Amino acid sequence: MISDPRIEVSGLTVRYNDVVAVNNIDFAIQPGELVTLLGPSGCGKTTTLRAIAGLEDPSAGVIRLNNETVYSSAQRRNIPSEKRGLSMVFQSYAIWPHMTVAENVAYGLNVRKLPRAEVDQNVRRVLDLVQMSAYAARPASKLSGGQQQRIAVARAIAFSPTVLLFDEPLSNLDAKLRTEMRVELRELQRRLDITSVYVTHDQEEALAISDRVIVMNHGKIEQIGSPETIYNRPESIFVADFVGAANLIGGRVRAAVDGSIVFETIGGLMLKAAARPTGSETICALRSAYITLQRDADPGSNTAHGKIHRRMFHGDFIQYVVDWPAGQLIVRRPPTEMIEEGANVTIAFSPEHCILL
Amino acid sequence: MNRFAKLVPRLSIATLLMLLVLLLCAALVIYPVVFIVAESFNMGEAGVFPPPEIGLHNFAAMADDVDVIANTLLVAFGATIMAVTIGFILAWILTRTNIPGRPRLERLMELPYYMTPLVGAMAWGILAAPKTGLLNQAWHVIGGHADLFDIYSPLGIAWVMALFEGTVAFVMISAAMKSMDPSLEESSRVMGAGKMHTALRITLPLVAPGVLSAAVFVFAEMLGAFAAAFVLGIPGRFYVVTTAIWEATQSFPPDYGRAAALGLSLFAAMVVALTIAKLIMRKGSHATITGKGFRPRPVDAGSARWLLMAVAWGYIVLAVILPLAALLLTSFQRFATVILSDSIFTLGNYQTALSTGTLGQAFVNSLILGLSVATIGVPIIGVLTWIIYRSKIQGRTAIEYVVMFPQAVPRLIFGLGLLWAWINIPIPIYGTLWLLGIAYFTVFLPLGLRTLAGVVMQIDRSLEECARVCGASWMHQMRTVSLPLLRPGIAAAWLLIFIASIRELGASIFLMGPQSKVISPAIINAWLSSSSELSAAMAMILTVTVFAAVIVLFAVARKLTGNPA
Repeated sequence: MISDPRIEVSGLTVRYNDVVAVNNIDFAIQPGELVTLLGPSGCGKTTTLRAIAGLEDPSAGVIRLNNETVYSSAQRRNIPSEKRGLSMVFQSYAIWPHMTVAENVAYGLNVRKLPRAEVDQNVRRVLDLVQMSAYAARPASKLSGGQQQRIAVARAIAFSPTVLLFDEPLSNLDAKLRTEMRVELRELQRRLDITSVYVTHDQEEALAISDRVIVMNHGKIEQIGSPETIYNRPESIFVADFVGAANLIGGRVRAAVDGSIVFETIGGLMLKAAARPTGSETICALRSAYITLQRDADPGSNTAHGKIHRRMFHGDFIQYVVDWPAGQLIVRRPPTEMIEEGANVTIAFSPEHCILL
Repeated sequence: MNRFAKLVPRLSIATLLMLLVLLLCAALVIYPVVFIVAESFNMGEAGVFPPPEIGLHNFAAMADDVDVIANTLLVAFGATIMAVTIGFILAWILTRTNIPGRPRLERLMELPYYMTPLVGAMAWGILAAPKTGLLNQAWHVIGGHADLFDIYSPLGIAWVMALFEGTVAFVMISAAMKSMDPSLEESSRVMGAGKMHTALRITLPLVAPGVLSAAVFVFAEMLGAFAAAFVLGIPGRFYVVTTAIWEATQSFPPDYGRAAALGLSLFAAMVVALTIAKLIMRKGSHATITGKGFRPRPVDAGSARWLLMAVAWGYIVLAVILPLAALLLTSFQRFATVILSDSIFTLGNYQTALSTGTLGQAFVNSLILGLSVATIGVPIIGVLTWIIYRSKIQGRTAIEYVVMFPQAVPRLIFGLGLLWAWINIPIPIYGTLWLLGIAYFTVFLPLGLRTLAGVVMQIDRSLEECARVCGASWMHQMRTVSLPLLRPGIAAAWLLIFIASIRELGASIFLMGPQSKVISPAIINAWLSSSSELSAAMAMILTVTVFAAVIVLFAVARKLTGNPA
């Protein structure tokens, strides 16, 4: 059974004077889903999120939350932020420095005029959830970045909103803390089963945390899909390039003689591809992680000779720059596969991984 | 829908309100300036608006004031050179060296500004007047013959202006020095350049636009400076433009045309200078000002740091301690003398200052004005600040421009314009405190806006947005988040406007009437017409009041910086 979507955005457009920040986008988010808006800075992802929150005035379109229209340009309807019943974690955390931790967390509950006991109980509950109970009485201005982050999350979930918005919540944390908090946030979102929209420019974070990813560029949606689909089946050059590490090999599609699909690269290599092309593709996108440098390739694979130009040891993987007839190829292999610079190798990859765009 | 119906009138009311605010500000700010312009072209009966006859006669007559203009330039140049030199040395010592007690000295550097040019000039008059000046007296006692100093000379006037009206040079130059990214110097050192080479090729070019801009800015200020030229120039009939304007209005019949033409020319000269200062700043800013607050690594001055500390303290002594000591001593004496065995101590000066009908009343009036202008002005300016920096309402930049405009007009000229403006309006507030109150509010608009804007900008917008998302209405958000965060800034703005009102001279001197005397002009009158001992007592009362407010202000400022928003 498919229930009604929690969030429905259709035809949303946001203009600042002459600049179109968000250009006629549509998407729907199901209850309990965590959907990420992913894209480079200036792509309109934060503007979209702020429009859902009611912090940005759109120019056109409809936004519906829980089957209620909160914004509609046609109906001239724009429900103010505080009446939308959603919650948000800000990039800057927006922890009020003149209040204690508990006062910060209790704010949304007090605004709703809940009885004192209920407020206290909820504050305790969410502070426990983010493991910050010990800090309840502290002044909020005396917290580290990671602690502020936890308090911001606790405050956002304290009054049990139906929708939770995240505006790049982890971008101010250092790398190690960021990966830890990523796991915690996902854990929390699953546990509370709260519908979430998450904005980030970090593709790794987006893939790791989301049920679905919406890739945006220049105010438009490039692709919507599960993290696996976005990674394995990019539908545009932009998505292939922005998400994950990919080689973009120039060339053209050749007339297929026997029904198979052949892509002729610059430099004259013939590559077999699996996906059906329209025939006008000029790029073959190939993930760096899907290329092997072993001699024993599967039959049916694309193979070519190459030479290791440069090796960079990254710890979790080794990145090779390999010279091959079509120019240079970036290949990522596990750290166990150490090959000397200058060595000759056989490059192999499955036609399935050749995405023609 | 019904929400739509609610939305539309609200929008138009906001727009209407905006127009009203804009009109009101424009009326307060622009209206007096219109009168100055009109009067300067008026060839008919003085003070009549609109002018019965229009022509350039008043400007042509400025040829007779060539000596006044020459005096003004002489004093302004001298004062600028001294102020920038002092400001540069102090700024360098305090931002770039490791002298002992640097934070406290930096705080003390603000004091000369709060001394006010009027009090400073009188104090130096008492210290260094020919023959009677305390320093000259002391010189004679130890066997000197001719006077050591003559504070009534152009050089003396320039010296006092530099000390008390040139404090902005220090502020601007240290800002330029602080905003320089230290890595720019460090990379020069890493590339192999020595200390000296780095100072000449990197530091100096980077700081130069800031210093030059400060110099031009200070020069503009000096052109419009009034108090020192008045206190020290009038006794020797040495006139600069500002004092000549005052003289023109005091002659009989008053020569308003001359005053207006001189005033408008002064205004024009200052606008040109300030524009040049801004251009220099903008042209050089790409390298210097990055907006980040750097604290360049201080140079280890070695044993010279004690000498440098002495230089910094020397400035405090000359600009604060010595003048205050002279005022204090004189205010308790029957006749000002440095020979303590000759002196007759008395409390009489203070009794006279506080009891003499008009004098005591002037002090009370100033307090009333300070309290009410600050109390009424701050909420209004607060709303203006919010409109200009936080709302998305159209036309807010126009309002900002209008509100900041009085900054460009010398107070004296503004006062003159207000005088004519309100004489020509059939509302009988001329000669009352109401007119002074309106004038103060108008001329302190930029001060209030700048102070409050500084605090508003510090508060991250998301702090307010978060409250809304949490379900708070606009009112609730203002009450629980915005206002508590703004409170120290509001207190600071209140105190600054209070202080500025108490010490106001330029606008008040034209606008006060017999029934509405205020303290600064009253002190000037006492200085000119009665004894320096009485004036010293009045100056002490003013200074103590201002310093008390300053102490509270510093406490508030500490809270402001100690509570990161």
